[in-house]
Amino acid sequence: MLQELIASYNYIIVVVIMMIGLWAMLAKQNLIKKCIGMAIFQTGIILFYISMGAKKGSTLPILEHAHDGAHHAVVAAHYANPLTQILMLTAIVVGVATLGVALTLAQKVYQQNRSYHEDKILEKLSK
Amino acid sequence: MIWQFDLILLTLVVIFALISLRVKDLMGASIVFGAYSFLMCLIWAGMGAVDVAFTEAAVGAGVSTVFMIATIYNTGRMIKPRPQDMSFKLLMMLVVVITGAFLLTAVNDFPEWGDPYSPVNDHVAAYYLTHSMSDTAVPNVVTSVLADYRSFDTMFETAVVFVALIGIYGIIRRRRKQDDSDSDTDALPPYDPSESLIIRQASRMMVPFMQIFALYVVAHGHHSPGGGFQGGVILGASLILYSMSYNLPTLFKKMTEKWIILLSAIGVLIFSGVGVICMMLGSNFLDYSVLSQILPATDSVMARSHAMLIVEIGVAFTVMCAMVGIYTSLASNGRFDKGL
Repeated sequence: MLQELIASYNYIIVVVIMMIGLWAMLAKQNLIKKCIGMAIFQTGIILFYISMGAKKGSTLPILEHAHDGAHHAVVAAHYANPLTQILMLTAIVVGVATLGVALTLAQKVYQQNRSYHEDKILEKLSK
Repeated sequence: MIWQFDLILLTLVVIFALISLRVKDLMGASIVFGAYSFLMCLIWAGMGAVDVAFTEAAVGAGVSTVFMIATIYNTGRMIKPRPQDMSFKLLMMLVVVITGAFLLTAVNDFPEWGDPYSPVNDHVAAYYLTHSMSDTAVPNVVTSVLADYRSFDTMFETAVVFVALIGIYGIIRRRRKQDDSDSDTDALPPYDPSESLIIRQASRMMVPFMQIFALYVVAHGHHSPGGGFQGGVILGASLILYSMSYNLPTLFKKMTEKWIILLSAIGVLIFSGVGVICMMLGSNFLDYSVLSQILPATDSVMARSHAMLIVEIGVAFTVMCAMVGIYTSLASNGRFDKGL
């Protein structure tokens, strides 16, 4: 039982983190908190990809090599999966750019409505 | 990966996420979120994803926290408690719990954690690991997949960062002396850097070393964790530190707005330009091996290795300028005269 829990603990935590983010995006009424929720959701997905690419007893995806250019035979199972890693590497940087856009929009909304609170903004808009 | 560490860190991450959503002070919430990102980066480093952990340490724990603080600086900091509609919250809780339950039923169908022969780790990922050295002479497989095998992905991600910067300028940039009347009532008092001699001197000494380290990260990405994205973010962070410890006009004396836009466009141009040169030499877009015809003293394998460096420099330009541009617009509330 404990062994099974450890084996799937990563995936369970992924689901928990993603749901925390989703809950913040839906139920929190402060726009900055919504942005934080979005970022949390995103890290959940990144954790999911990295967990899938991890291999037991493997090392970093940087190959051993000699200076004279001689190649060692590479066994793929000895190195962590590089593919899931690069997909997430670019996703992080794009994620911070989109977070920047979200925060800019929030700041613009604040300029015009003097509040980050959803209800207050709606009150102002309906006037 | 030591599973006890993994267990503790994963539990801590959930607790930190909850705290950062719970705190009523937005400044505190963003600091806790930075700590959350840093714990996350420890987990990823433990699973062998050092490049991702490096990026997250620079981006998640560093720059995105700064973005949030810059936003809060120009607006309100405290959340004023308001009566809440509990039925709405309960409904949302129900939606989240049901979605989570559906996702949890899928957990058992995943391959066992750490299985080296699971479908994700088998086909094309194994090819990259076994062929990277003979195809491209780059030992860091993450770099060779990023900049060569899957360079289309990276090129368009760079373009997305550029477009985000342009979008932010479009949303928030205001012409000077247009509407200065709307002084933000509940913003923090104006920041006077002359009070902080220690911070100024310390950052004056740190900035050049950060920039040299960033250049090393960009240039040494072939052999160690790093590359254009990480190096670009660190370069951007060094400029952000400079502008925070002095003020925005001091930064704009060294690097004007015009250059920020121009350099970020040049970065995308370098990346796509390399692809166009490959086409002009009679091969596919971004097939670097034909560049051996114009690069001196290279065969088709080393041409791919060198082209990756050129491409990474382009990425670093765009990412650096995007970080500085986003920070300056958020910190000055779109006016670009004074700010955090």
